[in-house]
Amino acid sequence: MDPIIRKFIKFVIAGLVLLAIGWLLVTIHSTLTILIIATLIAYILNPVVLYLEVKGFSRLQATIIIFTAITLLIAITGYFLVPPLIKEIMQFQKGVSSGTAGIYLQQLNNFIDQSIPMLNSESLDLQGKISQWLQQLSNSLFFIIGSIVSVVTTLVILPFASFFLLKDGRQLKRSLVSLIPNRYFEMTLNIIYKIDIQLGGYLRGQFIDAVIIGFLAVNALWVLDVHYNVLIGIFAGLTNMIPYVGPIVGATTAIIVELVHGGGGQEILLVAIAFAIIQLLDNVLIQPLVVAKSVNLHPLIIIFAVIIGGQFFGILGMVLAVPAAGMLKVLISEFYTGVRKYKVV
Amino acid sequence: MEASSVWSNIFKHKHKENNSIFNVLRRVPIFKGLSVKELNAVERILHRRTYRKDEVIFHEDESGMGMYIIESGHVDILLGQDNKLLAQLTDGDFFGEMALLLEQPRTATAIARSHLKMLGFFQPDLFSLLETRPRTGNKILQKLAQMLAERLYKTNLENRQLKLKLTDLESQIKEEMA
Repeated sequence: MDPIIRKFIKFVIAGLVLLAIGWLLVTIHSTLTILIIATLIAYILNPVVLYLEVKGFSRLQATIIIFTAITLLIAITGYFLVPPLIKEIMQFQKGVSSGTAGIYLQQLNNFIDQSIPMLNSESLDLQGKISQWLQQLSNSLFFIIGSIVSVVTTLVILPFASFFLLKDGRQLKRSLVSLIPNRYFEMTLNIIYKIDIQLGGYLRGQFIDAVIIGFLAVNALWVLDVHYNVLIGIFAGLTNMIPYVGPIVGATTAIIVELVHGGGGQEILLVAIAFAIIQLLDNVLIQPLVVAKSVNLHPLIIIFAVIIGGQFFGILGMVLAVPAAGMLKVLISEFYTGVRKYKVV
Repeated sequence: MEASSVWSNIFKHKHKENNSIFNVLRRVPIFKGLSVKELNAVERILHRRTYRKDEVIFHEDESGMGMYIIESGHVDILLGQDNKLLAQLTDGDFFGEMALLLEQPRTATAIARSHLKMLGFFQPDLFSLLETRPRTGNKILQKLAQMLAERLYKTNLENRQLKLKLTDLESQIKEEMA
């Protein structure tokens, strides 16, 4: 057969395979989300297992110890945190759709209407938008997968999957690598290793950073007597992982709540100052200490990655956009140098 | 067949397989002195690769990440563009160990001369072993250092002899010129 035709057929087949993979990924989108979260949990917990392994425990023992500890931790925090959290969400939703908050929002709508007449207040519909946004927020924040697969299934599958990914991840990785043809084997091993080095520290650091920021925000809002401080604090911690936009989203949420509950200029200023201080602490102290390595991406790429991530996977996609983009960057650059170094082509 | 005999057969097979790998590993200097438990840990991180006859394992000047240990089969190590045969390796032999410490281009080409089964031990595996089982990792590292030091010592001796020969030759040429 003519080599050009053969090449063309190869390209067509490769394209079809890629299309099929893409279609499959879209179809199993919800299951994939669970798998991504489970892998992420396992990945973040891996150093703790390694630490216990060094101390002489087997991988299975180490995994069981960690999962028992986490279950206990969740049970304890859940006991204190979940009832007020559920109450807060329900109150928040009720508060926005009716009662005083509705009046305040109407006032705000009127105010905007008067001061910026070119904005059509009907299309603005602040109350409707906030209710809708809240609905989405509670859906994406607490039941990321809940809307598609039942929450109970997720709550069972997620720990189950992360347990086995943590226990058998190494063998799984080895088995996957063993499927790679001899020609690309060493190169693939090299790429995986480099990605692990570059992203492992970043992801774990971001996670710890989010926990610290969440804790600080909950306490700051509690001191300032802002309603739903637990809810907003956790939300601020989570969104803090989204670059550029995240910290602003957290602060804005707190300010809107303060506004809805009739907070005056002084209260709003205090909330803004609290968030500014937290951000300052984060940038000057926590980030340099905890997030050891940056992924070294151009801000423009980060912004577009965040937008694209948000389009595909919502909040989770936005949080994972930067590590995913970093991974892609390592993949492409290593593949490029690898192809030359390992003389694959 | 009884269920128990099925299980015992499976385990026997696995046991036999492990024993053959252990025998291969024990012949490799860097794994000498490791206990059965430690060899087990090493075996768990090794990569098993199979090659067809005449398949290239790696080319000269390609980047390398680690060493290969021959479980069964034959490997030719070739040098230069004219593929000069440098060495023929077989069961229990190993090659490419320099790449464990230094990510540098391979100094020769390796080709499978028969159906080949090999165990790959790579830099990331060594690093992860050093992290999870520092004692085992250090033993391997020590043996590796020893092996390389011995080689360096030999090379130094050769170098010295060559230098002596060179000065001899230089003085001979000077005498002849005079």
